[in-house]
Amino acid sequence: MEEITSGHTIKSYDRELRMLHQTVVDAGRQVEMQIVQAVKSLEDEDLDSANEVVLQDKDIDSIELQVDDQIIHIIARRQPMAKDLREIIAVGKIMSDLERIGDQARRIARLTLHFYDSDNSPPGYALVADIPRLALQVVEMVHKAVDAFADLDSRLAFEVIRMNSRLDEEMKAALRRLSTYLMEDARSVGHVVDITLGLRALERIGSHAAYVARHTIFLVKGKDVRHEDPETVQRELMD
Amino acid sequence: MNTTVDAAAVIGAAPVAEARNEEAETVNPAVYEFTGTVGDITAAQPRMTARNVDVWYGDKQAIFDVGLDIGQNEIIAMIGPSGCGKSTFLRCLNRMNDTIDICRVSGEIRLGGEDIYDRRMDVVPLRAQVGMVFQKPNPFPKSIYDNIAYGPRIHGLVGSKSELDDLVESTLRKAGLWDEVKDRLEQPGTGLSGGQQQRLCIARAIAVSPEVILMDEPCSALDPIATARVEELMEELRENYTIAIVTHSMQQAARVSQRTAYFHLGRLIEVGNTDDIFTQPRHRLTEDYITGRFG
Repeated sequence: MEEITSGHTIKSYDRELRMLHQTVVDAGRQVEMQIVQAVKSLEDEDLDSANEVVLQDKDIDSIELQVDDQIIHIIARRQPMAKDLREIIAVGKIMSDLERIGDQARRIARLTLHFYDSDNSPPGYALVADIPRLALQVVEMVHKAVDAFADLDSRLAFEVIRMNSRLDEEMKAALRRLSTYLMEDARSVGHVVDITLGLRALERIGSHAAYVARHTIFLVKGKDVRHEDPETVQRELMD
Repeated sequence: MNTTVDAAAVIGAAPVAEARNEEAETVNPAVYEFTGTVGDITAAQPRMTARNVDVWYGDKQAIFDVGLDIGQNEIIAMIGPSGCGKSTFLRCLNRMNDTIDICRVSGEIRLGGEDIYDRRMDVVPLRAQVGMVFQKPNPFPKSIYDNIAYGPRIHGLVGSKSELDDLVESTLRKAGLWDEVKDRLEQPGTGLSGGQQQRLCIARAIAVSPEVILMDEPCSALDPIATARVEELMEELRENYTIAIVTHSMQQAARVSQRTAYFHLGRLIEVGNTDDIFTQPRHRLTEDYITGRFG
């Protein structure tokens, strides 16, 4: 982050860029906590905690608006160039991905409310178990993606992209497992569908984390790798 | 020709494993050691070519071993901090530095293959072929009509009065000035607004059918609207002329040019497509300058 925000002749421009960068890093930490809390609420059957996550999502929405305002201000007032321009573009996209991660955390929290705040019998833990298990991986991805952005670390960003490929494989395996429950007992169809949606939320979070990583690579290296496979990204980074 | 400098100074050249450390390095602009121009100095269709150009003012060297093509129908912007040599280099391209006694130029500058520093080269036709527009509008103290007609007359480009009338009108039209001045052609050029005067000077330059137009900070004395008009004119002129512009305004360089050359302490540090220079410059000094970190 040092080289992005230090050394402008106009010091207030430095401050604005530094503040923008830090706001987005903080938002990243916050959505990470929201995923952790949402998944824990599911494990602990904790309705209060789940409700908190639902409410917190509004904070991220408001941070996104605030970041967009700052971006418009900087473009209008500073006419950023080169790395500063890439920072502005990347920060906007990263914030948008973080906001969507927040939305997915809220979905998981709503799953807790759906399962445990109704008269219907909740699913057994074995059925739910894949969500906390895969959430560990997803939370690590979000954490590393935000670290990569905070430190402008393209190597770490690439690691997140690699992790996303592994996550996709794990997701397929989890869905196969779920389908066996369905085959054993067709009455579990309602729970299986709900848990599939929970897994889908985690898969989306992983995908958004990978996008945060890809935008970070654009910021650092000036290369747009949004739609490249991991091998191509690696080659681009070595160029 | 692709020349590359040391990896530490080139952005994005570091291997992934070392990315963080290398990106954190900075280059002190005051003591930076030059090891070669970054980027391609050649143009697909060069109109002018400069190679190994050195310029001295007395004992002081102002330009060091600069090589650069000026491409056909392109606008090339030369940017850099004050004293970087960009104007000095521009002035070499039509031998304007000849007027400075202590100035000495070596190396090779060619216009369409012809060495413009060949001692048999006549600078008068050269300066018609390579016209110049200066920072401050400097119309002749003559009528608007005569400002345009003067060059074609002395270069013998027109025969009759009606031919000259036609040339004045077509030139003023090309410069986007005709509708504004057609009813007062006999009034002094100095009576026009600053922006109009500058467009009159551009018209004066194109009246003698140059191949290349050099512009040294052409908009620095103009307001934003007049600047926009001059920039629009440059874009139109690009279809028929080659333009090299020195500007302190990076936004202007980004707006009008297709290629950009960044000068620093008399060296050509980096040259490349304008899109690339302003989004992902390869040299740390270029990046620091265009992002406003020094200059």
